[in-house]
Amino acid sequence: MSPRPGFVLEVDRSTPPTLMWHGEGFRLERLPVGTRIVYGPEPIAPLADPDAAIRHALDHPLGDSAPLSTLLRPGMQLTIAFDDISLPLPPMRAPDVRQRVIEAVLDLAAAGGVDDVVLIAALALHRRMTDPELRHALGDRIFEAFAPHGLLLQHDAEDPSNLVHLGLTDHGEDVEINRRAAESDLLVYVNINIVAMDGGHKSVATGLASYRSIKHHHNVRTMQHSRSFMDVRNSELHTSNWRMGRLIAEAGVKLFQIETTLNTDQFPEQLGFLQKREWEWTIRDRASFLVSSTALDRSPGELTRKVFHAVRAPHNLTSVQAGAVEAVHESTLANVHRQQLVEVSGQTDVLTMGLPYICPYNVNSTMNPILVACLGLGYFFNLYRGKPLVREGGVVIMSHPTPWEFNPVHHPSYIDFFEQVLAETTDQFEIESKYEESFATDPWYVHLYRTSYAYHGVHPFYMWYWCAHALQHLGRVIVVGGDRAAVRRMGFSPASTLADALEIAEDVVGRDPSITHFHAPPVLLADVT
Amino acid sequence: MTRGVRGAVRLGGAGVRFVAERPAWPGGAAAPLPERSLGVDYDTAWARRYPVRLARAMFLDDVTRPILHLALSPRVIGLEHLDPVKGPMILAANHASHLDTGLLLSSLPARLRHRTMVAAAADYFFDRRWKAAVWSFGLAAIPMERSKVNRRSADLAASLLKEGWSLIIFPEGGRTADGWGQEFKGGAAYLAKRCDVPVIPVHLRGTRAVLAKSSSRLRPGATEIRLGDALRPHEGEDARKFAARIEHAVATLADEAESDWWSARHRAAAGTTPPFRGPEASPWRREWSLPDSARKDQRAVRDRRRRQPWSRDD
Amino acid sequence: MKALQFERNLPRFAAARVASAVAGSGKGVRVGPLELVEVDALPMPGPDWVRIRPRLAGICGSDLATLDGRSSRYFEQLVSFPFVPGHEIVGDVEGGRLDGRRVVIEPVLGCEARGINPPCASCAAGHKGSCERIAFGHLRPGLQTGYCRDTGGGWSAGLIAHESQLHEVPEDVSDEAAVMIEPAACAVHAACAADIAGGERVMVLGAGTLGLCVIAALRSLCLPGALVAVAKHPEQRRLARDLGADQVVAPEEQRRAARRLSGSLALESDNGEIERLTGGVDLVVDCVGSADSLQQCLAVVRPRGKIVLVGMPGVLKVDLAPLWQREIELRGAYAYGIEDRPEGPRVTFDLALELVRDARLERLVSARYPLERYEDAVAHAASAGRRGAVKIVFDLRKAGAGSGGPGTEQVGGPQAARTTKEAK
Repeated sequence: MSPRPGFVLEVDRSTPPTLMWHGEGFRLERLPVGTRIVYGPEPIAPLADPDAAIRHALDHPLGDSAPLSTLLRPGMQLTIAFDDISLPLPPMRAPDVRQRVIEAVLDLAAAGGVDDVVLIAALALHRRMTDPELRHALGDRIFEAFAPHGLLLQHDAEDPSNLVHLGLTDHGEDVEINRRAAESDLLVYVNINIVAMDGGHKSVATGLASYRSIKHHHNVRTMQHSRSFMDVRNSELHTSNWRMGRLIAEAGVKLFQIETTLNTDQFPEQLGFLQKREWEWTIRDRASFLVSSTALDRSPGELTRKVFHAVRAPHNLTSVQAGAVEAVHESTLANVHRQQLVEVSGQTDVLTMGLPYICPYNVNSTMNPILVACLGLGYFFNLYRGKPLVREGGVVIMSHPTPWEFNPVHHPSYIDFFEQVLAETTDQFEIESKYEESFATDPWYVHLYRTSYAYHGVHPFYMWYWCAHALQHLGRVIVVGGDRAAVRRMGFSPASTLADALEIAEDVVGRDPSITHFHAPPVLLADVT
Repeated sequence: MTRGVRGAVRLGGAGVRFVAERPAWPGGAAAPLPERSLGVDYDTAWARRYPVRLARAMFLDDVTRPILHLALSPRVIGLEHLDPVKGPMILAANHASHLDTGLLLSSLPARLRHRTMVAAAADYFFDRRWKAAVWSFGLAAIPMERSKVNRRSADLAASLLKEGWSLIIFPEGGRTADGWGQEFKGGAAYLAKRCDVPVIPVHLRGTRAVLAKSSSRLRPGATEIRLGDALRPHEGEDARKFAARIEHAVATLADEAESDWWSARHRAAAGTTPPFRGPEASPWRREWSLPDSARKDQRAVRDRRRRQPWSRDD
Repeated sequence: MKALQFERNLPRFAAARVASAVAGSGKGVRVGPLELVEVDALPMPGPDWVRIRPRLAGICGSDLATLDGRSSRYFEQLVSFPFVPGHEIVGDVEGGRLDGRRVVIEPVLGCEARGINPPCASCAAGHKGSCERIAFGHLRPGLQTGYCRDTGGGWSAGLIAHESQLHEVPEDVSDEAAVMIEPAACAVHAACAADIAGGERVMVLGAGTLGLCVIAALRSLCLPGALVAVAKHPEQRRLARDLGADQVVAPEEQRRAARRLSGSLALESDNGEIERLTGGVDLVVDCVGSADSLQQCLAVVRPRGKIVLVGMPGVLKVDLAPLWQREIELRGAYAYGIEDRPEGPRVTFDLALELVRDARLERLVSARYPLERYEDAVAHAASAGRRGAVKIVFDLRKAGAGSGGPGTEQVGGPQAARTTKEAK
């Protein structure tokens, strides 16, 4: 049976309750009659022989590029950069896409007699990956061949000796990237696209860059002018990265880009009901739901967290393309849209969404309130093309427990940001001008970023800026079931139940508003006309 | 007089302390340096006395052997090469794991394994008294320097060989770190020449996957022990050249283990046996081209096999 | 006349200690040796002594410690039983130079009050708090009025004082403002002891009466670069901010706040929490005086920095390794005397009066109680922070007399028991 496309359901009296994510758990909510629910397309079939497809892509590159095997010769310096732990979500079942692709590349490199090879995790300002995480992403064979010899590196954006400044774009943006990557004879980038924001010139221009470079497009103004950053044509974030990417190419960095797309088969069989439309749940699905939700309710927080973060998704390769960045990325985007695009006509007054336990920045970690805001108002809000799903001045209602909890190892600067900066102000521009610099240059955060597993000191700011477009656009943000103090600290309104939230929303948008529910994950991209 | 005796025997307060504790050495008396009798100087003669040999035989046969069989499921190939050899021999094997010694020893036929000693690295196995005792007992180990031939251990080995003891030795000098073989040192060759005993080359396959160097993880798996034809030094051949010949013999056995006897013989004849020490390339490429059986972690191997039901190697 | 008297009664003392340990601070009063009794007028020890009729008498942290049986045994030889507590006193004078006037009392009993002539070196220099003849002279031992059998104390209808202890209160200063002068003087003295050159980063631990007065004093008399207050309760946080703190943080946030303030690196414990800083703030003022607070001070002050200990401590178990390794200066600050100011030496009480005026410290008086309701008063004082209060005083004025200054809360009114709903 071929996978069905996404569609918009209008709730009527026969519609069963809707499944809504609520952090490390889920609820069934009855949405008011007339609510539209946007369902994503069903997962499309993955490639039958991914390894063959990968080898084919390497031999038949797109755009102005020679096949990879001809680019590899003895005595050259090869660097292979790959996307870090923020992708894919949830983490894939073994073997990971990166493992498949890099093994294929290394087979060619071995055949070509290339001795000087270095692998770099393109972290940008994210946290370093732990050894088990690297093993999972790359597989044991690659890990054993490179890690013991110190050839498996993680990009260090604060190491001046390993950064090279390639120049300024015509908009005066600094382009400073990893030295080893820039000065190699060939740089191969292995990317995974789970949303339309990833990939393209952004892979190298952000993934291997330093704060000095990144701040040119990770700032409030840029984010407000990215409508949305899931749409390359309308995104100031991408325009800037494209400029930087072109400068990198002009500076002589030889890049062979390999991009992959995945289907949206994001949950294993036992949680299969999360993928299905509620009225199609079999008796088994209903039983699974009951069992899981009661078990999760009863278990202590630590246990549920472990359970969820151990989920390995069965999503698989739907396409792989390699060669010149821009040609490759066009093909990639077509494949992303093929899987994720849903047509929605018209905007709505109120947009509701249930937020899951995971976002790109808390893999194997706690989801703190700032990340909740980023996931809802940053990612989910911006998963549109054309116009936002909710009208200007409308209301977004997010469902998440929003615990006042932070992981001190992964997110130390987030704690200070939440306790000290947000206590003073939630205004984006004020935060940027008054506090960003001191957090970005604080020696303690730099130390933790470089030696521990901490996100960079400036990262919480970027999470806050990610919400800039939404905060500018919306009339109010309401969080259902969240910690009241945490929700208020961020400037949002707390509500105990969805019904209460809708009541509060009516103060802003008037009585009888139109409501749309964003039924994700699995991830989808709304094409709003 | 009785009083005097009693007086002499009675201990005062200070006297009790003196008897209870070890006395301090007074400054005026010359003190000798403490004797060290560990490492190469450890005396293993006690382990070759009859009662100890009997106990070891029982321990080896009834405890060590069954346990190793369980963990390593060994398969022994080439035992027939031992038949023509009357008298003692030197068994030269490749070294990848701490389990090699026990495995090889317990795979030998009874007449050999009860009268075989093992050359063990003096700095590792004989650095503590209790360790020295354990290995001398369990494996009939004698201490040997890793890289150069120590006079004392060489003399000991030679005398034992003359008495009829066989010797297991790992000419690499230590376990392999990356899975490929290391250059064979001259110790085995030298002893063979000096005592006029043959050298049996041995290849151990699959022990690295069970317990690798610098790893504490033990994963039971299948192993193979291949024995080759006995080698004797040519007329006037020096120890170094002989050592190289022994290394090549082991390499041929390794080739046999990875492919089959016939193609291995072809390659040996043509001189294209894959080098024992692996390709001359960067560390990652050496790791990349390791045969599956020499890999530290078999998960990667199983993953790949699962993904490709038709192996590209076939 | 009525007075609350503290007897020497060891079993009741022990009972008070147990009760306060088990049920919390302030709960020892009912079983302890404090009693409301009728006392005769005290005899005058010498010339220059006058009678005082208290109007308002404050309850101080050291009083609470005494009532809980928690104060150090160090003080045993510096008090004489039975005594009437209360050393924060504003009252009317009977007799002497200032007859009929309203005064505040400087409770320390120095050489002059004790009739010792010539005075010791400290008293001669004006540092009466450091009197070297304490416990001698024609008074029984008592380091202050309020701990001495011969002088009486503020928690009564009448006491006696030496002329040298009196400071006249100007007309425009209310009773509530006047009763804050003594605590403000402690704060002023502490702020001067801190010896801030200008631009230092300062952290103040504790936001009770003493902490808040210290914040006001630091802001008014010194030039700190950044002033961070650590306060647990919402009312305290609001007042700390009003009185001049640049930033107010909760106790669990204080190490992180100190780290950010000083831009220092830190040593973390296994679970990722900061154990102590490798750098730190320049000055920490400890207005709590517990083992915990002192350990916190040592964790956040920079090497060669200074800790001023203002809160009265007892016997504490503190790891002093950081004090030694980082060459930290730990300085006690007690009472008042004469301060060295840029404009010249000034009497602490004079500076305190100015501070009370400028910072409007009368708003810190949260509730007034009659002597008869002393148990409730002490309980309220002990849980002041939690109950949104700061300073609790005994009101000894006749009904109708005495003005209620701005910001005073009436006992039993909605304000007195207000607990703010605001979370962190």
